[in-house]
Amino acid sequence: DGPAPAAVPGRAQVFATVVDTFLEKLVAAGSYQRFVNCYRCFYKLQPQLTRSIYDQFISQLQASIKEEVQEVKNEGNLEGLFSSLDKIVEEAKDREEPAWRPSGIPEEDIRSTMVPYLLKHRSHLCRVLREKEEENRKVAESVLMGRNRIAELQQLIQARQQAWQAISKEQQELIMTFQEPQ
Amino acid sequence: MSVDPMAYETQFFGFTPQTCMLRFYIAFQDYLFEVMLVVEGVMLKKLDSIPGCKVSPSQIRKCTEKFLVFMKEHLDKLFAKMEEVVLQLVMNIPKNVLLPEDRVQEQYPYSKEEFQALQDELQQLQQQCRAEAVVEQALRAELEEQKVVTAELEKILQCFDGLENICREHGASNFKESFALLMQSSKKLQDVLKDVEEKSKKMKQRDQLM
Repeated sequence: DGPAPAAVPGRAQVFATVVDTFLEKLVAAGSYQRFVNCYRCFYKLQPQLTRSIYDQFISQLQASIKEEVQEVKNEGNLEGLFSSLDKIVEEAKDREEPAWRPSGIPEEDIRSTMVPYLLKHRSHLCRVLREKEEENRKVAESVLMGRNRIAELQQLIQARQQAWQAISKEQQELIMTFQEPQ
Repeated sequence: MSVDPMAYETQFFGFTPQTCMLRFYIAFQDYLFEVMLVVEGVMLKKLDSIPGCKVSPSQIRKCTEKFLVFMKEHLDKLFAKMEEVVLQLVMNIPKNVLLPEDRVQEQYPYSKEEFQALQDELQQLQQQCRAEAVVEQALRAELEEQKVVTAELEKILQCFDGLENICREHGASNFKESFALLMQSSKKLQDVLKDVEEKSKKMKQRDQLM
């Protein structure tokens, strides 16, 4: 087995490399030779001091630049964001079509964010409606039974009424026979 | 040349990548100037301490300017390259990449009409629920009324039952029969009475004749 293939450098690493390269080349451009060339008059007077000044200059410049980069990285949580973005890009690697991008019109873009809530609301309402309908069906049945019961009671009462009325009639007839003239 | 606003990247990073690079550039430039001033300052101070120095401060100034111009040129060139790489490779979101926070956009790509239809459907469902609530109220109100009416009717029925119980207790359970019997008896009695009256009348008539 050969050596494992080099992993694709993450964004953090590319960024670090790019900054290092920049510094390297900047330092190379600002070489001691170049410095002496410009400050020839001073160099002639103080060669050792010139070297010392240059060394400090170069180291201070690099330190300041590196510090600034680190500060911005910390402020913006760049390391974290770079690594997140690497992951997100990796997950989308099998996808070829261009992805959705904001249209710039908030009313259009917000539709899709609202849809999941509306769908949930809809299924909730459907369930509530079904339950209510079922409940009402049962109550309606009770109401019908109640109506039947009332009709039944009314019939029973009417039957008793009629029976007693008939008795009363017989009673009347009986009394009439006592009063019948000869 | 159109400038890519990198809006999607801004959404992700919380800042515009170009702004970030500009911040770096301005800072690097400032540090270069600062440190060159320090360099010049040190040299001038040293020259001050040398009696009869032939090098004037304006000469030093010219040297500084020369070196600075050179450094700035390289700074600009090198920075431009760095910026290009960062904007293209580091702080960019490839076209095929969708940020997780935007997943709903591809999950539920509803058009204006589809969205409106969904909202209309919700409104209709809400109306139906309200209607069912009204129906429920009416049904329950009738149920309550029925309870009261049923109780009254049952009370009346109980009265009838009570009457019948009293009659049964006193041995007169079937009035119809009793009255029919009574009527028969009364008719018989009346017939007998009639008979007796007639016979008595006949006897009186016979007595008168004798």
